[in-house]
Amino acid sequence: MISVKNIYKNFGSLAVLNAVSCEINDGEKVAIIGPSGSGKSTLLRCMNLLEDPTYGEIWLDDNLLTAPDPYLHPDVIRASKTYASLMKTMNNDEEVIAKIKAEDLLKKHEGKEFNELLKKIDEQNRIDINLARRQMGMVFQHFNLFNNMTVLQNLMLAPVQLKLKTKEEAEETARKLLRRIGLEDKADKYPSTLSGGQKQRIAIVRALAMDPKVMLFDEPTSALDPEMVGEVLDLMKSLADDGMTMVIVTHEMGFAREVADRVIFISDGVITEEGTPAELFDDPKNPRTQQFLKAVL
Amino acid sequence: MDFINKIIELFSTEKYMSSIWLGLQTTLIISVLAAMLGLILGAIIAIVTIAKDSKWMKIPKLICKIYITIIRGTPMALQLFIMAYVVFAIRGFPQIITATIAFGLNSAAYVAENIRAGILSVDIGQTEAGRALGLTSRITMIKIVIPQAIKNVIPAIGNELIALIKETSIVSMIGMYDLTMAAKIIGSGNNMASYIVPMAVVAIFYLAIVYLLTFVIKTIEKRLRASDKR
Repeated sequence: MISVKNIYKNFGSLAVLNAVSCEINDGEKVAIIGPSGSGKSTLLRCMNLLEDPTYGEIWLDDNLLTAPDPYLHPDVIRASKTYASLMKTMNNDEEVIAKIKAEDLLKKHEGKEFNELLKKIDEQNRIDINLARRQMGMVFQHFNLFNNMTVLQNLMLAPVQLKLKTKEEAEETARKLLRRIGLEDKADKYPSTLSGGQKQRIAIVRALAMDPKVMLFDEPTSALDPEMVGEVLDLMKSLADDGMTMVIVTHEMGFAREVADRVIFISDGVITEEGTPAELFDDPKNPRTQQFLKAVL
Repeated sequence: MDFINKIIELFSTEKYMSSIWLGLQTTLIISVLAAMLGLILGAIIAIVTIAKDSKWMKIPKLICKIYITIIRGTPMALQLFIMAYVVFAIRGFPQIITATIAFGLNSAAYVAENIRAGILSVDIGQTEAGRALGLTSRITMIKIVIPQAIKNVIPAIGNELIALIKETSIVSMIGMYDLTMAAKIIGSGNNMASYIVPMAVVAIFYLAIVYLLTFVIKTIEKRLRASDKR
């Protein structure tokens, strides 16, 4: 469903993600764990382009979300002037491409053919990011409910504004979702009057109101009081049981172990280990993972 | 006793009252027109300054930045003189327009800064949540950010309007007949030969206008905040 291909993310001179690649398959629940500052939230935010990766590509099914990255397309590299000039001396296709990739040799101007190939990839695959985001629900650490709207308005805004539903349909869906989480009586309340747990559950159903294909969770329980963590995790569990594809950045190791099909461990901007919860939690291979799990479990 | 007699004299002499009325009109016309110009132009400048960096916005952004710096960095009186004696140094050009433009352009710079600060004060998470749902940046701005920014902006804009009204008193420096000028003329030797009474009366006029404006702004503020908690 989501393919992350060799992404780099730099904030100024700080490299937060370094050549990260991963696949999220249909129906899969993937937990991303790792020490704070390791780049796990950044990776998640790159998936729906809230952060624009510096290099690399993000795909949602067959649709390209980022600009095409020439380094990921050998035929594009072959069209470059750099390739042509290197071939004169080295005369070995594989070596030249490897060298160009390794040493980041592509320049700004690589000739007309190169540009046209890139443009072709862009035109054939690129999808408007707003269309892509409709299919990817996102839940934030700090809920981010719209403070100027009631709960019901929060749930109805996007479907109505994007003309996916009429007002009546959107309201019906919204009320149904609120009933599901037992907060129907809060429909006309403003977010400032709700508890953290209630806010987060509403934020989750706000994303669900768009009928997303995948849900991205960015530390959904980290800003909650301990007694409210349970209600949010329960809702997420029921989502998982419904077969929703989920990517969850979390510090809740128990939850990751119970719900996730696969766990990705990130440290210092690199995926150092990934596997099933049993593999990763019970028998971590990488010393960095071992060290982290020892500290948190 | 003399003070009270003078007040009675001022209010009962038609010449003086029509002077004050004339001055009050000028002050109000300049204030209202300049405020409108300032708000509209200020909003436009604010939108340009907070717009995303792109090659089309580079030059407009730079212009706005320079504009704000110059306006905020030079005295209002000087700006008024430049308008009156350089830009609109045309014989017979209506002074009221000169003054309106001078004050409007000045106010726009401050209003723009207030609006910009107000929009930036809205948590970035609000924008992110809107964009993550697939809303365009325009809809996110209109439906989510601006309604929240307004609450933060109204008090600052109110202060700016109050400052604007009081500052219009310097139009007398280019020879215009506003409320302050009226007080000066009424108090001169040819008329009442006492400044204290007309100055005090005019001060109360300014106070009344500002008080009224403050009241209106407070009411609007209260209305907007009412939707916060329910």
